[in-house]
Amino acid sequence: MTAYPAIARSAWFREIPTTARADMRVPVRIYADDVLWQQISEDRSLEQAVNVATLPGVTGQVYAMPDVHEGYGFPVGGVAAMEAESGVISPGGVGYDINCGVRLLVSDLDLAAARSHLEAAVHDLSRSIPSGPGRNPQLDLTTADLDRVLDEGCEFLLDLGIASPEDLRNTEAGGRLPAARSASVSPKAKQRGHNQLGTIGSGNHFVEVQVVDEVFDSAAADAYGIHPGRITVLIHTGSRGLGHQVCTDFVRQMDQIMPRYGIHLADRQLACAPFSSPEGRAYFAGMCAAANFAWANRQAITSAARRIFTRAYGTAGHLRLVYDVAHNIAKLEEHGGARLCIHRKGATRAFGPSHPETPIPYRHVGQPVFIPGSMGTASYVLAGNDASMTLSFGSTCHGAGRAMSRGEAKRTRSGHEVRRELEQQGIIVRCPSSSELAEEAPTAYKDVERVVDVVHHVGLARKVARLKPLGVVKG
Amino acid sequence: MIPRHELRRHTSEIELHIQAGTLADLLAEAGKALAEVQLAGADCAQGGPARAIRVSSSDREALLVDWLNELIFLADLDRWVAMEFEIGHAENTEVRARASGVILDWAPSRAKAATMHGLRVKDLPGGLEASVIIDV
Repeated sequence: MTAYPAIARSAWFREIPTTARADMRVPVRIYADDVLWQQISEDRSLEQAVNVATLPGVTGQVYAMPDVHEGYGFPVGGVAAMEAESGVISPGGVGYDINCGVRLLVSDLDLAAARSHLEAAVHDLSRSIPSGPGRNPQLDLTTADLDRVLDEGCEFLLDLGIASPEDLRNTEAGGRLPAARSASVSPKAKQRGHNQLGTIGSGNHFVEVQVVDEVFDSAAADAYGIHPGRITVLIHTGSRGLGHQVCTDFVRQMDQIMPRYGIHLADRQLACAPFSSPEGRAYFAGMCAAANFAWANRQAITSAARRIFTRAYGTAGHLRLVYDVAHNIAKLEEHGGARLCIHRKGATRAFGPSHPETPIPYRHVGQPVFIPGSMGTASYVLAGNDASMTLSFGSTCHGAGRAMSRGEAKRTRSGHEVRRELEQQGIIVRCPSSSELAEEAPTAYKDVERVVDVVHHVGLARKVARLKPLGVVKG
Repeated sequence: MIPRHELRRHTSEIELHIQAGTLADLLAEAGKALAEVQLAGADCAQGGPARAIRVSSSDREALLVDWLNELIFLADLDRWVAMEFEIGHAENTEVRARASGVILDWAPSRAKAATMHGLRVKDLPGGLEASVIIDV
């Protein structure tokens, strides 16, 4: 592992200057306090961020969020901006799970009213929403309908009756990226995805029932409809096998054509092509289609959760969508008058009150941002700040960030122990695999409160509310 | 060199570490290592349905990744996990093989993709050694 000289600029961030390595085009800025910095320095995430800082057309700075950890190619928790005209686009800069993201639903229920049916509701969620690498026989799409999901995203789900106009308003990009082209998604990817809409998947994905534990910013909480004691549902998943296949297909293609563009990389997983090239445009169109699939996936899960909550609690159980944010995506955005392709891998958009893409009902407070904790720990709702535009291309972190490998986590704690500890805290757990439960143990992650505090103090986003877990269905 | 493999820990993924005397044996052993990840300790009888697999790539390293990604695709699509491999032809840019495996009544595809991050295939005296990271 290579050590890079990092200059502490404040208590909250450090910078690796371009003099650290001859091929760096821009500096790297890492947002972290001393404790997180120590954890970040223990894996290869800094080396990966430096590799990203060498890509053609990279501009400004490469940012590492406080939850950053080693990924493949790009670090998870990394943000990089490429000039749209002269820079590259990299499938590895988005990741395999294209538009992995989080959405928060809020009910009119308080904890006392919810408690009696809570275990049954969580059980029903686990039975009704396929998890693990499962399929959804109730939404097995025809080729034509899958193409509509890829091209139209959540708008197609309006036609199916499982989305509302309000849902679309409260989803990043309205749940549809117009640059999507189903024709840019391979037959293999479509074969993997046709029966995966409405499924959680595996790994760290989940559906969690929570209670609003504390509110820090009442103006923003009021705007989001989040009040102390209210029951919420947080959904974390992405584009499933379809998105993985899109990434696999384009990493392979770009790895082969890079010599044509004179691109040489420190890590082949950073495979890329000029954004304006036929290959770059094809990837962007396919990635946007996979992103649409992911938004539709979270919407389909929302529909299932609404059925279950309404059945259990009547009209008070209706789940209103607060917002849905992507955290693995590349988007064309304007920053400082320049048109840039912003790669966010394990990083969330955090636009402030004055940004035109912040939904109108939230325009006075900033867009909602969700930072899930690990299982058993709190999750946070934050509000985007205008300052984030200059601090991080309008981005913030996406979670607590892994601190321990999956194998190490399993060696440290058994799944049975993790399950027992969660149940002792009063958290209902539904997970088919004890082994996977151990991999996602709270001890395997960084301290989410510390991560959120860095985000808040730096000004990337500000704390709005803390959500405490009551029941989790793990993928 | 007797083919062998090891599953190594990586921050959030699994690294397959493989040694074998020839490229053909290396690819077969990599397939067995992947099956170990996919089956996650489940006891499955060998000798199930067989199928022909052909993969071509730009070089030896990419061939290893593309081979594993083809096996991952088949597992995700058909719940078919390849366990035994007869490599008919293997050169740096192409492999033709026949694989037998099992069809599961549960979804095996915990392995989601083989990546090029940290990818390495190097010559050793008497054989080859490779490392490839699997996204799980």
